[in-house]
Amino acid sequence: MSPRLFLQVLSLEARNRLSYRAEFWLNALVGFGVEFAVVYFLWSSMFRESGKQEIGGFDLQGMVTYYLAVILLGKLVRTQRFEGGVSTDIYEGGLNRYLVFPAGYFPFKYAQHLGGLVPAVVQFLLFALVVAFFLDVPPELRPSPTSALMALAAIAVANLLYYLLDYAIQLVAFWADNVWSLDVAKWFVASLLGGFMVPLSVFPAWLVPWLEALPFRFFFDFPARVLLGQIEPAEWARGLVVALAWCGVLALVGRGVWRRGVEQYAGVGI
Amino acid sequence: MIQVHKLSKAFTVHKKDPGLLGSVRSLFRREQVVKQAVREVSLSIEEGEIVGLIGANGAGKTTLIKMLAGIIVPSAGEATVLGHVPWKRDDRFRQQIALIMGQKAQLWWDLPAADCFLLLKEIYRLPEAQYRETLDYLTEVLGVREQLNIQIRRLSLGERMKMELLAALLHSPRVVFLDEPTIGLDLTAQRAIREFILQYREQHRPAMLVTSHYMEDIQRLCERILIIREGELIYDGSLRQVMEKFATHKRITVHLRPDKPVPELSAELRALGEVLQRDAELVKVEVPRADVPAASAKLLQELPAADLVIDELDIGTVIERILSQRAEVPASELPASEPSAS
Repeated sequence: MSPRLFLQVLSLEARNRLSYRAEFWLNALVGFGVEFAVVYFLWSSMFRESGKQEIGGFDLQGMVTYYLAVILLGKLVRTQRFEGGVSTDIYEGGLNRYLVFPAGYFPFKYAQHLGGLVPAVVQFLLFALVVAFFLDVPPELRPSPTSALMALAAIAVANLLYYLLDYAIQLVAFWADNVWSLDVAKWFVASLLGGFMVPLSVFPAWLVPWLEALPFRFFFDFPARVLLGQIEPAEWARGLVVALAWCGVLALVGRGVWRRGVEQYAGVGI
Repeated sequence: MIQVHKLSKAFTVHKKDPGLLGSVRSLFRREQVVKQAVREVSLSIEEGEIVGLIGANGAGKTTLIKMLAGIIVPSAGEATVLGHVPWKRDDRFRQQIALIMGQKAQLWWDLPAADCFLLLKEIYRLPEAQYRETLDYLTEVLGVREQLNIQIRRLSLGERMKMELLAALLHSPRVVFLDEPTIGLDLTAQRAIREFILQYREQHRPAMLVTSHYMEDIQRLCERILIIREGELIYDGSLRQVMEKFATHKRITVHLRPDKPVPELSAELRALGEVLQRDAELVKVEVPRADVPAASAKLLQELPAADLVIDELDIGTVIERILSQRAEVPASELPASEPSAS
């Protein structure tokens, strides 16, 4: 696919998604406000009840900051569900048109996915401003220009990795009548082992090497810690290389699943 | 341009018993059923030809088209379109074909048509000048200039179909597959689409394969038709010849004189053929072609006739009978298994 076509698909999808104003604000307020309120009250009471000053290396203020970072950047990493997703294309026959076009299916969908993220980027920037001006972030966790730039790369890789995992799972629709449960399982595993539900440092020490061997930590934990300045440049570079290697593995899996799936695709209807 | 040799497609579908118990049982054991959608179809289509593909629902028309457009992979057999094997999906092949499905929108619903076309311009890598010229021509002929900036989902069915046609032809394809292009459209829109297809054929000479349930489409567009029944190609030839081969009967209508009582039909008369209608005004019978003179004479002799009319069955009725298996297909009329040389 030519870069020009990729950008055009991205831009069209972005314009399309930005035209849904109500969805934009609802998503922003509910997606951010509610999630943040829940973790704030939950962790406040956990610190209060346990009497501990520190859990998983964070005090209450640090923990709240971690969640702020994770919820904000999570918007840029998680797949924004929309009409015409991969499994919908397979179930409803929308895939037909892409098989007839002289353009690859994956780049097309990834460009659409990135375009669909544009509202999330706007929301991210809006909330980042709110956080910067109105919330009390501990000085040692305030992002510096360097950590912000490093985080940008970590978020971009996290986004690609998450999309590749999502894509491979959605392709199961070639065989299964429904991929919804797989989707839920994916989110549960990714959010638990990726640091969205709790920081990975909260897990017992013996589990940490296992968590580090898996790709999930690159979704939320790694970019959040990079943003909060907790990761040194050398570790950051190493992390990016490992995450990109995981991208390669998932891309190969996706390619294999696609090839087999499309061989027996029925195109809906006889 | 299109060569097909013994192409077959079988689908495996899961069968599930009705009711809650059936659903629970299917959790543990699923019965698989193989459905043969297309059986050993052979054909060839040349440049500039518009060929009609006719068959009942589920006969395998769409499956055949999807195989030729490269969307699905056949179970057996061979096909080449413009020298390419369709299901290998070579870009050089996809650059030269178009698929229009009346039942399934190909365009992006949320986008205005103009944006869809710009996207297609990039997908097919059309030079600016060629794109402008083709777009101008097609919008003019289809009369959709005013609707270019309206979201596809807000267009009427007829307007949407015109946009679909326009989108499919922007890159001047050499092979066009049209799967029920006029379905659900009103008569005016149907006519407009048909006229446009004919005009396009004159100027670009593509090979076109059209399916439609409307006989008007087939009669107006196609000189040649393919009839497919339960996945098998049972006729490949001209529309005119279908009548000669399959219209084995004619209808005789006798208009009765109002001043005479209506007589009972004699057993001999009833034995001539099937009596389709009999009332105070007319008697209508369907008889084998060869028996028309004798039957006419007999009818005139026995009935107080004011007038007598002999009709051919209309093409729609003939094809409906072939499809519903009420018309026998003589063995000699089956299409040759080898496609004709191009």
